[in-house]
Amino acid sequence: MSSAFLSLAASTGKIKGPHIDWAGLSPLVAILGGVVVVLMAGLLRPRFAREQLVPGLALVSLLASLGLTIWQLDEDKSLVANSLRLDGLSTTLTVIFLAAGIATTLLSWRALAPRESAHGEYFALMLTSIAGMIVLVWAQDTITLFLGLELLSIPLYVLCATEMRRASSLESGLKYLVVGSVGSATLLYGLALIYGATGSTGYAETAQAFAAKGLSSDTLALGGIALVVVGMCFKASVAPFHQWTPDVYQGAPTPVTAFMAVATKAAAFGVFLRFFDVALIDAQSTWGPALAALATITIIVGNVGALGQSSLKRMLAYSSVAQAGYMLAGVVVSTQLGVRATVFYLAAYLVMNLAAFGVIIARERETGRGDDISAVTGIGASRPLLAWPLTISMLALAGVPATAGFIGKFQLIRATVDGDYAWLGIVIVVGSMISLGYYLKVIAAIWSTDAVDEAPATAGGSVALPALAGGAPDGPVTAPPAKPAWELTLVSVVFGAAIVVIGVLPQPLFDFVERASSAFANLV
Amino acid sequence: MQTTAWLVLGLPLLGSILIGLLHKVLKGKAAGYLGTLVLLASFVCAVLTLLSLQDRSAEERQVVFVAWDYAKSVGLDAQVSILIDPLSLLMMCVVTGVSTLIHLYSIAYMVSDRGYNRFFAYLNFFVFSMLLLVMAANFLLLIVGWAFVGAASYLLISFWFRRTTATSAGIKAFVINVVGDVGLTLGTFFIIKHSGSLDFLTTFKGAAKSFDGSNADLTAGCILLLVGAFAKSAQIPFHTWLPDAMEGPTPVSSLIHAATMVTAGVYLIARMHPLFELAPSAGDVGAIVGAVTLLVAGTIGLVVTDLKRVIAYSTMSQIGYMIMGVSSGAYVAGLFHLMTHAFFKALLFMAAGSVIGAMAGNQDLNRMGGFRKAMPFTFGCFVIGGLALSGIPPFSGFFSKDEILLVIGERGGWHWALYVAGYVGAFLTAVYTWRMIFRAFFGAAVPEAVELEGGHLHHAEVHTNPNGGEVEDTDVGFPGPEHHIAERAGEMKGAMSVLALLAVVGGFLQIPKVTSVLDDFLEPTFADSTIQHSSNDGLLVVGLVLGAVLGLAGIALAYRVWVQKPGTSAVVLERFKPLHTLFVNKWFFDEGIDLVFVRPGAWLGRASRNSFERLFVNGTLIGGSTGIVRASSSAVRAIQTGLLRSYTALLLLGLTVVGVYFLVSA
Repeated sequence: MSSAFLSLAASTGKIKGPHIDWAGLSPLVAILGGVVVVLMAGLLRPRFAREQLVPGLALVSLLASLGLTIWQLDEDKSLVANSLRLDGLSTTLTVIFLAAGIATTLLSWRALAPRESAHGEYFALMLTSIAGMIVLVWAQDTITLFLGLELLSIPLYVLCATEMRRASSLESGLKYLVVGSVGSATLLYGLALIYGATGSTGYAETAQAFAAKGLSSDTLALGGIALVVVGMCFKASVAPFHQWTPDVYQGAPTPVTAFMAVATKAAAFGVFLRFFDVALIDAQSTWGPALAALATITIIVGNVGALGQSSLKRMLAYSSVAQAGYMLAGVVVSTQLGVRATVFYLAAYLVMNLAAFGVIIARERETGRGDDISAVTGIGASRPLLAWPLTISMLALAGVPATAGFIGKFQLIRATVDGDYAWLGIVIVVGSMISLGYYLKVIAAIWSTDAVDEAPATAGGSVALPALAGGAPDGPVTAPPAKPAWELTLVSVVFGAAIVVIGVLPQPLFDFVERASSAFANLV
Repeated sequence: MQTTAWLVLGLPLLGSILIGLLHKVLKGKAAGYLGTLVLLASFVCAVLTLLSLQDRSAEERQVVFVAWDYAKSVGLDAQVSILIDPLSLLMMCVVTGVSTLIHLYSIAYMVSDRGYNRFFAYLNFFVFSMLLLVMAANFLLLIVGWAFVGAASYLLISFWFRRTTATSAGIKAFVINVVGDVGLTLGTFFIIKHSGSLDFLTTFKGAAKSFDGSNADLTAGCILLLVGAFAKSAQIPFHTWLPDAMEGPTPVSSLIHAATMVTAGVYLIARMHPLFELAPSAGDVGAIVGAVTLLVAGTIGLVVTDLKRVIAYSTMSQIGYMIMGVSSGAYVAGLFHLMTHAFFKALLFMAAGSVIGAMAGNQDLNRMGGFRKAMPFTFGCFVIGGLALSGIPPFSGFFSKDEILLVIGERGGWHWALYVAGYVGAFLTAVYTWRMIFRAFFGAAVPEAVELEGGHLHHAEVHTNPNGGEVEDTDVGFPGPEHHIAERAGEMKGAMSVLALLAVVGGFLQIPKVTSVLDDFLEPTFADSTIQHSSNDGLLVVGLVLGAVLGLAGIALAYRVWVQKPGTSAVVLERFKPLHTLFVNKWFFDEGIDLVFVRPGAWLGRASRNSFERLFVNGTLIGGSTGIVRASSSAVRAIQTGLLRSYTALLLLGLTVVGVYFLVSA
């Protein structure tokens, strides 16, 4: 027995594990530690422990991770045998993920979804998904990339279905699972083909192989790139691979939709930037036009699709498709400016969407009209603290000056013009013109004085839900409180104010995203 | 000095904003006193600036203060800067001083008006705009001030916005003023094209060099500047808005359409004199237009029966003198007349306002008469203003008008025609001024005057618009149910007394051979003038005597026609029927402009609306693009079936297309 142990100890001594930079890995460790703690705390009996302690602990782990990220904001080092890299892009995007996570935790605090699915699981899944995003954008080789992608995606499939007794939530989860698996499979196929062509999985080695072997016109490699393009476009909801987005966004619990809209998008574009602008940069002349065409299709489809939608979540889903098109323009040009513009837009997109979703969730609980546009009709007079953030957010998404959205779009257009894709800049402008058609409709509804008779506020969550198979652990699940939730107002107001602040004083955010482009020494 | 200069400009703006923001808080006369005090402070600052400027040596009396660079890049030096020199200071003092008095007058005159606070907010804004115009140190700010003044004038003419006549008069004034703005702006382009600078002093210093060999551009530029000046100063053919502008409240007529805004054209020509001297033909255009205007306006003034419109035509005519003067090199004389005219014309309007108050809003001369006993103070003011306007010694108008004509006479050549026109105009002035006075104050007392003598101010049962007779809206945009006369309102009396005093003594600044205060004061600004003034003592004496005699003769004629033999005017009218028709219809300028510009413009507008706009813009461009968007929107929604199999199918289709593209490029 003891000899067996000894031999095991001896053998582990012989196997040289990779050097692990724990300091660099600490943001990820904090999140994964949070997952374990939250899952355990979710098993506690007292109601307080489940409803307050669990989200509190999730918040603590997110804040700890945020602190650890900021501590290493300007680090530039490889972790764990070159499979992960902590650099400007990693830290910048991690801050965006964590900000989205914190906001989502606040938005979910008293939501229906965690009550339905048990708090421990809900928040643990959300944290796991964030861990997946971190792995995805820190990844330096395709194996880690795929690992991160699945770690990000699978919890999301489940999260979409957490309002278990609402059919549309289940439908959304199932659809996302099926179509998402097709997307993942496509991406994996593509990665495999690229590996076949280059013989390596690391980004740097892939780039070297492309340069050394002249793979830019190699059928195998280009076939792989085509599949990778499709797989990633799927994750970033780029048309025509966007069709899951409206259905899933609309069906998923609204806090989860908010999380998907901002965090998943940031992760997808992070990996887009990294993989295409580092590993596949040699084939830029081939994939650039293809992505530009996809961006054009996306901008048009997203914007015209959003017209005439009466569900705010569905409208924002199409809007997120259109915005993905704008950001793809930043990837297409493959310049330092393009990277900065994309990351800046991701940050602006985060604040714009969270301000809007905060208001939508608040009205969803107050009115019982769900996310229909009538839920916000006339709130200009009755709820100014919700009306203003939503108004500002809509103006910002449309790109009106003095908002973060304007600066972001301006940077993207500048990047396209500088990168010889001026026509793509024009497409962005035309898209923004069309987008006014649906953003202004929301503003008109907010400030209209036509009285919409207030539905009984209690109708919010207590519509008779079907019995849950197996029964809830402690009797019927009660509806969340219908009274105005301060944390929702807080999120809306803070992000609404941030939109204006960034729109007027963009310099601090410019400086912040400046470091993201330091990861792309190969670009001009 | 820098601080006081900026305060002169900033205080009226502050007043306007304060009154505007606090309009719900300010009760009673508070807004009026606030507005007046702000302007008084502004006037004090202007005087302090004047004093500190006089402490400097003559060469250093042109100072530019820059607040910040607005846009300073290649080929453009747009700064927010003000120019303080004797010319701008003279204008600043006149504008703030007269404005303070008119604000004081308005405190009482407007007190029953429902829009009291709005009125003072507008009035302060107007003063700010006017100061911006005269203090601007570059073309950019000049244009901004120019346009602001036009906007303020529009707001105040249409102040009683429920009167259709008032709103259409406001629109007319604004449109004509915008034509002037366009002229000014285009003229500026002609000038900076060669000078390369927006700054006045830089442009003037380099003018001789930068326009060497491109005199046509300079002449074109100056004539375009003149278009701006004519539009603002109501010179032919841009004058038709001024009589209609009398729709505004009387203090507005007094301040804007007599004392300050309409003199902007005179200021502009005086300010741009280095350019006009390089383009003498532009100056000649100005001089001739001024002379024509003063004659035409004088003849119309003879037959108009609306009290305020008589004074309005008189204003046009007097500004004709000033324009003629500054265009012929009589800068100091023109500005001297500008100043004295501001005093006596503001006074005349205030007195007219008082009479209109006694008539319960009616301004028809035909219905007035015999107010002499009922309103002794108003009558006194009217007489002082009338004597000054007619150029009777020793009132202020006598010295200033004759000085303009003296300089023109000295120029010789064809300027003699202008000289003659000026004296004919002087005679006409005396006749129409005293016709107005005799008809309103002499003769049999009308019922309103009798009522007032009995100690009661007449009030109309139903308020009607004096033009057109429509019943007034009594809720908003209404002159107020009560009227006020100078005899009963201390503020009005105070303001009129000060102006009456100034109208008497204002001329003593420049008594020929005795005093030359303005000459000395303005010397630094006009030191670079190349027009030499020969002093011709004989002409001086002839002019002075001629002016006095013609003035007195005019008064005598008016006395004979309208007091001694009241029927005479009807007889004369019968004999010169065609001439009367011409004058009464204001030389058919309105009809002419309507025929030449308005109708073809309207026709063109209608035609293009029916064809180009409706078919091409609305139908093809707008309808087409929204149609495309709409169609693609339904297409996108149509493929969004909600069925997983169709989503996957589209995914695979997209994948195929992308794959084919990459494989083809391989």
